[in-house]
Amino acid sequence: MAALLFEAGVMFSVLAVAGAVAHRIDLSVIPFYVVSGVLVSPFVFGSLGLPALEDQQFITLLAELGIVFLLFFLGLEFSLDRLLESREEIGKAGALDLAVNLPVGVAIGLALGWSLLEAFVLGGIVYISSSAVITKSLIDLGWIANDEARPMLGTLVFEDLFIAFYLAVLSAVILGGGTFIEVLQQVAVAMGFLAVLVAAVYFGSAYFERFLAVDSQELFVIRAVAITVLVAGGALALGVSEAVAAFFIGMGFSGTDHLHDLERRLIPLRDVFAAVFFFWIGLNTDPTVFGSVAVAGLLVVLVVATTPTKLLTGFLSGRIYGLNDRRSVRVGCGMVTRGEFSLIIAALAAGSGGSVVLAETIPSVAVGYVLVMSILGTLFMQYAGLFERFVVTEESVSTGAD
Amino acid sequence: MTVYESDLPGVGKKFEIEVDDDEQLVIVTHNTGKREVFRRHGESDSEKLFELSDRLARQVGTILEGAYFQPVATETTETMLDEDTLFEWVAVAEGSELIGKTLADMDFRETTGTSVVAIQRDDETESNPGADTTIRAGDTLVIIGTPDACDRVERLAAGTDDPREEAAQAADEPADDDTDA
Repeated sequence: MAALLFEAGVMFSVLAVAGAVAHRIDLSVIPFYVVSGVLVSPFVFGSLGLPALEDQQFITLLAELGIVFLLFFLGLEFSLDRLLESREEIGKAGALDLAVNLPVGVAIGLALGWSLLEAFVLGGIVYISSSAVITKSLIDLGWIANDEARPMLGTLVFEDLFIAFYLAVLSAVILGGGTFIEVLQQVAVAMGFLAVLVAAVYFGSAYFERFLAVDSQELFVIRAVAITVLVAGGALALGVSEAVAAFFIGMGFSGTDHLHDLERRLIPLRDVFAAVFFFWIGLNTDPTVFGSVAVAGLLVVLVVATTPTKLLTGFLSGRIYGLNDRRSVRVGCGMVTRGEFSLIIAALAAGSGGSVVLAETIPSVAVGYVLVMSILGTLFMQYAGLFERFVVTEESVSTGAD
Repeated sequence: MTVYESDLPGVGKKFEIEVDDDEQLVIVTHNTGKREVFRRHGESDSEKLFELSDRLARQVGTILEGAYFQPVATETTETMLDEDTLFEWVAVAEGSELIGKTLADMDFRETTGTSVVAIQRDDETESNPGADTTIRAGDTLVIIGTPDACDRVERLAAGTDDPREEAAQAADEPADDDTDA
């Protein structure tokens, strides 16, 4: 126990250092947590003879809780009403984003000779932009008060909803394994479980309200954690994505009066577990994999192929929202950022016990991809002025001719 | 004046208030409670002015609303019942000659020309204090009387080491002679 406790302490200390570095440079903590995991893994520190941390049950468990809480909060912040309110704009922008970016990933996977499942996983990884990193940048840059925040946040809402669906199906397919019939059965079980959850959310808002109507702050937190983790765990046991289950539980609470209390009291828990999740991802990544030309080459191809696509779809969604060219360019720059969701999908693949591509190549590439794209997207946003000049010069040329 | 409210999913709410023809005030209320206030001119970028924590935002809001009131215990406040009758709150300072004396000792009503209708001490108010009530430092005497009589009580209640008070007393005394009861 002493050794385990000490290792836990080391892990959190490493995360604290990583976070401090991130804050110093004023970048999102996510890539730094991942890198810290990579560094103290047996692959790096271990191979250098330095003390290293090995992935083990307690870290995996905390990482799982990280996924659960990340998705719980996503559901908490999600509002069906909001979605319906701007459904036209969100629908168009979201559909465009999906129609361009998901197939690009799938196409690259297929071109490499991968199976449909593997290509589908790759597609999801490159499709989804990072809500966490983009939102942080929006706030840091003050863009949150500008018009360009609307298409970005709107598209992210659409993506979140799609990813919930995507994860549900993907989990069912991956965990179902085997034959087509088994997969179909698994998908049916998943859909059934989720249908029950959705119904509970839709019809049972009174129960959600009453469940947390307790005076004691302690009881409040314990109850909230209990129901979230229990349902998520139960879902996973049934072969359903625990992330999606947590998402719906969060959604169930989003309509209650407890929304603000939940946010206030559970955010610290979420931050701790989520940090471990990113650490764990890094811990299980062998960076020497990128030494191979094949993997490094794949990474380059992905970055080169999926950056302009997001720039384009982001720009067009800005126009869909009625923004001028300059602000639409900003939307494009922001949407380039990938992050936590790509890693969640990668984690799913890593735990699948499937082919080498699925269980090893894709997760490793995903880590490298996210590290690059999270930084790239953030830089694009910070230096959006350069991109804007590109568009504005064209405009002034045309207006100059008037 | 229109206020536009919009949702910022995952962040909070945004309020846009038209200040002038071309200028807008943008307030972003985060789910965490933090408020950020920006100013926007026409089509240009919003310029962040400041941010406030939840608690501070509420206080600032109340001040802006004009409803913020903090009782200032060290000053005197007055209410006129008519032009010759004032209701005053007088704080008894350290070093005042009233300290340690009862109302009877001082023959308060005769000497000052005012009636003490209540004494506020810490958070408690004793109304209609008896003649044997002792005055202590930090008390607030709620008195009724003519403006001059109230001034007299104020001087007595003040600490005696304020040179301005002594000069004022010296200046006032000749005029006071006619009105002394």
